[in-house]
Amino acid sequence: MPSTRLFLSLLLASGLAATPSKPGAGAKGPVPKGNCAVCGMVVANFPDWAAVVTFRDGSQAWFDGPKDLFTYLLDLKRYAPKRAAADITSIQVKDYYALRPTDARKAFFVLGSDIMGPMGRELVPFGTEAGARDFLKDHHGKKVLGFAEINLGTLKDLE
Amino acid sequence: MRPPLQRYRNILDFALSSLLRRKGRNLALISVYTLVVFVIASLVFFVQALKREAHELLAQAPDMVVQRMVAGRHDPVPLAQVEAIRNIRGVDEVQARLWGYYYDPVFGGNLTVLATEDAALAPDAIWIGQGVARSMRVKEGDLIPLRGYDGQSNLFSIQKVLPESSELVSSDLVLMAPKDVRALFHFPEGLATDLAIQAGNPRELPTIAAKIVELYPDSRPILKTEILRTYEAVFDWRGGLMVVVLGSAVLSFIIFAWDKATGLSAEERKEIGVLKSLGWESSDVLLLKFWEGTVISVTAFLTGVLLAYAHVFFFSASLFEHALKGWSVLFPRFRLIPALDGYQLTVLFFLTVLPYTAATLVPSWRAATVDPDAAMRS
Repeated sequence: MPSTRLFLSLLLASGLAATPSKPGAGAKGPVPKGNCAVCGMVVANFPDWAAVVTFRDGSQAWFDGPKDLFTYLLDLKRYAPKRAAADITSIQVKDYYALRPTDARKAFFVLGSDIMGPMGRELVPFGTEAGARDFLKDHHGKKVLGFAEINLGTLKDLE
Repeated sequence: MRPPLQRYRNILDFALSSLLRRKGRNLALISVYTLVVFVIASLVFFVQALKREAHELLAQAPDMVVQRMVAGRHDPVPLAQVEAIRNIRGVDEVQARLWGYYYDPVFGGNLTVLATEDAALAPDAIWIGQGVARSMRVKEGDLIPLRGYDGQSNLFSIQKVLPESSELVSSDLVLMAPKDVRALFHFPEGLATDLAIQAGNPRELPTIAAKIVELYPDSRPILKTEILRTYEAVFDWRGGLMVVVLGSAVLSFIIFAWDKATGLSAEERKEIGVLKSLGWESSDVLLLKFWEGTVISVTAFLTGVLLAYAHVFFFSASLFEHALKGWSVLFPRFRLIPALDGYQLTVLFFLTVLPYTAATLVPSWRAATVDPDAAMRS
């Protein structure tokens, strides 16, 4: 089986040739806990899309994707009646390319791409605008939006 | 609760003693039965263990390997491509790899020679896999000559023999410094054998692969998922081949079991007649036959599975390893990681115990309903 031999050689190289090994995909950043605060899905099943809101008292709300994060943030009264927007200390989403947590308030989101999240169409998050632009081109996205530009109307478009 | 339990106990007791009475026949049946379970279970365990091993090894493999093709053949990749590919959005890391095959005429095997930048590697020294050490009969500190492209012998000292734990892939491996690899093979500067690519998000790999092909139309990206699929196919194919071969064995067992279990001898017929005239009911006789079958099945199944487990995980499936693994003269000698899967065991159970039970059920029923008078008279 020459092909098997070849493949084995290919893969052994990486394992042994002092390649700096990287942690498994999706394992970067804090491990998601519990269920999505909006839809109830188990967040740990979708680590690549996980988003998290941290409040001043240290408690957190996890989401299985930026879409649910915005649903929550834009209607805080309904999903967290005891919380106020001022209590939020940080909002993090995962950069699509690096799968590392990035500040959602400074992130860019691509609307209308061909990449589906756990809940279908998604606002795909990026740490840099250049990344978002490249993604828009590669994946037939429609718009790049900043954090502040996303409103209930945007979310309606995703349904 | 006591009387019914007592009844079961008595019947089981009777079943055991009746099995013991026909020792020769039942022992033959159990040993053939055990053999069939053993062979099938070994095969299932072995193929599963190999697949698991391959999965674990591939977990550390690069997400994608890029080769360059010239006239349909694998050719060295210019190092200039490394930077260009690194600039593709979504690429985390690009590593140029330098490796090749070295044919050793003495023991007629191929070694995989791989360059490593590991700082622990001393100058003019190499690290070798267990298989290499075994076939060349060398150990740490020895010198081995490798014939260069020009026929000259290059002496290398063995600094380390790689640990056994990685033997499935490292068996035929020789690790040396990049400059030594280039000198040994006369490998031109500025070229590498292939490129190993890690992506930040595995979902982007097809896009990255498409961009690489667009950038360098003569390149061929191979995704890790493709390698995995090839593995699965190779192991499944080989396993399937064995199943076909074993199919005849299983079939002959079924015929054997059918024959042994269905052919009620005149003596047994008479025995049932006596039992029934002593006041046994049809259900009691059925229960008796059921216990007999169960004792045989479970004994054979447990023994067969235990033997197969020992065969695969303690003796590395020595009976059919040549048919199922090996891509080189240097066979890896490794121990598979023992693991049992409830699903596999269930499948095995149904594949072996169920046919036997089914084969014995109908004749038992017929025997149980026989008229005692007629049975004793015949």
